[in-house]
Amino acid sequence: MADFAAIVEIAVVLAIILAIAAPFGDYLGRVYTNRPAFGDRILLPVERRVYRVLGVSARESMGFREYAGAFLLFSALTAAWMFAMLTFQSDLFPQPTGFTPMSWDTTVHTTASFLTATDFTHFAPEVNMTPWGNLLALGVPMFLAPAAAMSVVAAFARGFIRKDGTLGNFYVDIVRSLTRVLLPLALVGGVVLVVLSVPDAFPPPLWAGPHASYPGFAGPVAGFQSIVYLGSNGGAWTSANVASSLANPSIWTQDFGLGLFLLLPFAFPFAFASIVRRPGEAWPYLGTILIVFVAGLALFLAFEGPPGLSLSGYRFGVVPDSSFQFASVYSNTGSNNLNIAGLAPIPQMSLLFGMFTQNTPGSDGVGFGTLLVFALLAIFIGGLMVGRTPEYLGKRISLTSVKWTALILLYHPVAILIPTAAAYIGGFVPSTSSFATVPFCAGSVCSNAHAFTSVLYEFTSEAANNGSGMSSFHDVTPFFNLVGAAVILIGRFLPMVAMLKIGSEFARSNSLPPGPGTLETRSLTFTLYLTLLLIVISALLFLPVIALGPLSQIGG
Amino acid sequence: MAAARATAPESSRRRPHTSTTRVLAESLRMFSPRREYKHPVMFTVYVLFLFLLVVTLYPAPFPDIQATYHPAYYEALTVILFLTLWFSHLAEAIAEAQGRAQADALRQVRSGMRARQLAADGSTRWVGTDLLRVGDRVEVRAGEAIPLDGDVVEGAAQIDESMMTGESELVTRESGGDKTSVLGGTRVVQGTIRIRITAVQGQSFLDRLIRLVEGAVREKSPNELALDTVLAGFTIALLVVVVAFLYLVTVFPYVHLSVGTVIALFVSLMPTTIGALLPAIGISGVNRVAKTNVIAKSGRAVETAGDLDVIILDKTGTITVGNRLAVQFVPAPEVAEAELTARAMLASSLDDTPEGRSILRLAGRRGAASQRLEEGAYRVVPFSAERKMSGIVLRDGTEVYKGSVKAIEAYAGPLPAPLRQAAEEASRKGMTPLALAANQRVLGLVLLKDVVKPGIRDRLRELRTMGIRTVMCTGDNRLTAQAIGRESGVDEVIAEAKPETKLEVIEREKAQGRLVAMTGDGTNDAPALARADVGLAMNSGTSAAKEAGNMVDLDNDPTKLIEIVSIGKQLLVTRGALTTFSITNDVAKYFAIIPGLFIAANGGVIAGVALLNVLGLGSPELAVLATVFFNAIIIPLLIPLALYGVRFRPKSAIDLLRQNLVLYGVGGLLSAFVGIWLLYQALLWLGQQPLWQTLVHLASEGLPLLVPHFSGAFW
Repeated sequence: MADFAAIVEIAVVLAIILAIAAPFGDYLGRVYTNRPAFGDRILLPVERRVYRVLGVSARESMGFREYAGAFLLFSALTAAWMFAMLTFQSDLFPQPTGFTPMSWDTTVHTTASFLTATDFTHFAPEVNMTPWGNLLALGVPMFLAPAAAMSVVAAFARGFIRKDGTLGNFYVDIVRSLTRVLLPLALVGGVVLVVLSVPDAFPPPLWAGPHASYPGFAGPVAGFQSIVYLGSNGGAWTSANVASSLANPSIWTQDFGLGLFLLLPFAFPFAFASIVRRPGEAWPYLGTILIVFVAGLALFLAFEGPPGLSLSGYRFGVVPDSSFQFASVYSNTGSNNLNIAGLAPIPQMSLLFGMFTQNTPGSDGVGFGTLLVFALLAIFIGGLMVGRTPEYLGKRISLTSVKWTALILLYHPVAILIPTAAAYIGGFVPSTSSFATVPFCAGSVCSNAHAFTSVLYEFTSEAANNGSGMSSFHDVTPFFNLVGAAVILIGRFLPMVAMLKIGSEFARSNSLPPGPGTLETRSLTFTLYLTLLLIVISALLFLPVIALGPLSQIGG
Repeated sequence: MAAARATAPESSRRRPHTSTTRVLAESLRMFSPRREYKHPVMFTVYVLFLFLLVVTLYPAPFPDIQATYHPAYYEALTVILFLTLWFSHLAEAIAEAQGRAQADALRQVRSGMRARQLAADGSTRWVGTDLLRVGDRVEVRAGEAIPLDGDVVEGAAQIDESMMTGESELVTRESGGDKTSVLGGTRVVQGTIRIRITAVQGQSFLDRLIRLVEGAVREKSPNELALDTVLAGFTIALLVVVVAFLYLVTVFPYVHLSVGTVIALFVSLMPTTIGALLPAIGISGVNRVAKTNVIAKSGRAVETAGDLDVIILDKTGTITVGNRLAVQFVPAPEVAEAELTARAMLASSLDDTPEGRSILRLAGRRGAASQRLEEGAYRVVPFSAERKMSGIVLRDGTEVYKGSVKAIEAYAGPLPAPLRQAAEEASRKGMTPLALAANQRVLGLVLLKDVVKPGIRDRLRELRTMGIRTVMCTGDNRLTAQAIGRESGVDEVIAEAKPETKLEVIEREKAQGRLVAMTGDGTNDAPALARADVGLAMNSGTSAAKEAGNMVDLDNDPTKLIEIVSIGKQLLVTRGALTTFSITNDVAKYFAIIPGLFIAANGGVIAGVALLNVLGLGSPELAVLATVFFNAIIIPLLIPLALYGVRFRPKSAIDLLRQNLVLYGVGGLLSAFVGIWLLYQALLWLGQQPLWQTLVHLASEGLPLLVPHFSGAFW
């Protein structure tokens, strides 16, 4: 059975990623705790020079306000750079024929989207970007955004091992995220993609014009695509994303890409265990991630692919392409190689679910951070169930932590459902007939449900900072641009600031050595408990819209 | 409280319906908005109930609702919401009534009490206890009740404390020493004592207990606040979900959703089970502690007890029976055993401690004759903590001392080697060697054996299973202490402890972030009791000790601490278990309600959504009613669990988690599926009964017939 071989292939890729993720996560932990790590000899002097140039005193450790302030300032400066680049790219750089500048609201959406590694695109690079603009306005934040995310989550994790209430130095974290992780890995990834015959032309040649065939849009595609995958970004050099032969010419580049975007999300549980210096602490998280990931993928594959039902064109076969698309969404990368609008309803539901949890495994750093917050909730309720004031890693979960944990739980459905409802009530959703038609929809209920699923998917993808889209309707309107940008920004900054706050709460408290009364998180029981809680809570919050969207497409 | 045990049946016999009617009245009084406002989850239900009530009575002003309005449906929903709230109130009212029964009984003890106040010149006059102030002196004679808490400053008396402690044996209280404290409400049986009042009316332990069990001083603990936050957050998130859903479905003609159904959906999904029972759980925790005859000065202290990491226990009286008994004499080389036993008898002849008496007994058995000492022919040197020896000095200059080996060595020079060996070996065996010396000459040893309390080993093991480390503090030497430590199974032994050692241990453990508990009774325990997170003072102890601790044990049983730990844990476990139950319950409710809302053009449920209808419920309205009704009825079913706590057996944390997850997580899921299905079938059956149909007809026709007259004028 060809399918069986393809499933084995995916399993092998996953196994390889996991095998690399464990030692790489340990390395990440060393990087974020300034312990001796591979590459110190060359990189430490470089980093010191960078600190000197930036005027950063590397020894200074920041509290919650300073760290969050530095993170927000850094993001604001990045946004300013992007907005300026997007606005003035046609004045600064040569423009290809047929270049049309973005509207201001699309620029706002694009800035928010690429500032946050969401990379939800309301534009076509071939038409709305110049090659240099693509590289500088969108390529630069593809490094900075994941670096900031990883730094914040590393700081969150360090809260569990500190006692002075501080979280570390944001600028040091950013620099080390770049020098130790993203730049070298992107370089390696780019070289591999070049070897796998992805084009890489630098400096980027001027594009051949909007109606040219794909080779006419060459540029540093391999390098670009490498950081797109690595940083949970999901944007692409051209609007066909990785469904094009330019960025993704073969099954080899596809499997390599899948490995690249799963590497950091899968490494982060190990990084956490390394930061808090508790061997094995990665396993409950990895177990939870794998259970939900494999179950979601199985659900996706079981219902995807019957001939005549799906619009999606498969370039390398149902299982490899589906797995890639699934993993891309579950890791909040959002690289599209399928037409999501053309998927069968249950696979759509499976993708939505991954963005509802946004932590199985989720994007670089933030995915794990969200899972950690969920674990705190699980430990809180579970801790009560074993008759002790809940504590994690020897630190009591304070009332303030619980409040911010509840906030992180709360904002996600709000950020998705209120805009979705507002879009409908305000009449911003185009009429159902203007949505792309899907072959499996026979009746009007299904068409309505399909339209609803598309709108729901749009805001879910934005709130989860995912970036994949169903693109079955015209969403380049001021409403979808501006509300979408707001959802993206809330979806990024609210949970990340909350994580820093929780981290600093833990960093302030003394830790006590574990005893037999302590809830052992490194156990199968806790892993299953965390998994069930994650599924049950996500289901409770989103089942009504799942019924209204994907499920109503079946037989309606 | 013993008093409660003794008098509650009597009072309920006298007024058979009082408590039931009062509980009902209280539960209805709790419908006041000010009361509801305190509990976020139930307050939300309350607001929804009021809204449904208005809509049901006056549907006219709500045209949107009227379009889908079905009177019987709305009436049923209103009633069910009312029941949900009322059941929650009942749980709280019953918990409060349990406490009140104890408090009422205690109040009777004190009512109309008068006391004989002592004036400066020694004259006495009768005053009401409410006029007494701290520092006033009163005289209490045989047969009279002690008006307020105080310290005996003069005299000694046998006191009956059974109304407070349940202990029928009389206790002795006398001035000086550590047994001076008396409790208001207890009765002097024999003797006359003068008491200095230490707590005025309203502040005595009796009053504290009354306030505590009545819930007047109840404040939410940090844990409770945190859980409230989680539940409130969850409720808000669900509110957004449901409201968004309500608005969205207006766009889709194939979803049939009335406002009533949305409210039903929301109420079923909210964590109402835990929200409704949360107040009752907190109150009943305090009640359960009070039932073990411990007065906790705050409910928070009870919860802290569940979190303890370290418990410091005295050896004597806690781990051991407290009476060390002489078992063997070991004469020094060149000393005849007869001389040793005779001297031992002399040294102990006026020692009234159990140890002293046991030496007399043993010496008697060994043939020593008891000596009659003439009045004034001797001087007793009492035992002191500093010198660690006691003895007697006769008029002829003969002095005999017995005491710890160290103390005797300090007095009479080093022990001969064989004796030292014997002493060490005895210590290793858990015995206490007492050295005996006369006129600065070491005569030998008396070996005392300390008896470990039966059952203490098991209780300490339970503590270890719960993750609590036990530290035994004793003034004994290291070897003795370790032997007892081994025999009883404590985790750490601190020997040769001085009065301040406990405080040092507490500071050491607290510095590492641990929560520490200790028991104590003496005045020099007071600083440590105050510093400990849970300080359990013995009722027989001094006022200073009782003032410093945050709990007082009326039975003077230090091992009670272990029970309190269990109650504290049980309190948390009950909350966690019911929260889990509440959450998993919700899943089933979704599956019951959602499918009925999606109706395709052909009248059937849309195929994809029908997949959710695992229960196979045919009628959407009945499914909704069955679900909300289940949601309401589960509350009274769980009241016993809230009041008595979930079963708690010491186990490792992960075993407990597994057990409770299966019991309350999986149980919550299954019970909801089964319960909703059963209720649905019951409603279906009921709907076919002619009498019921008439009732429904009356309800749907009758009410609108009555109300329009009002509603027209009203609006």
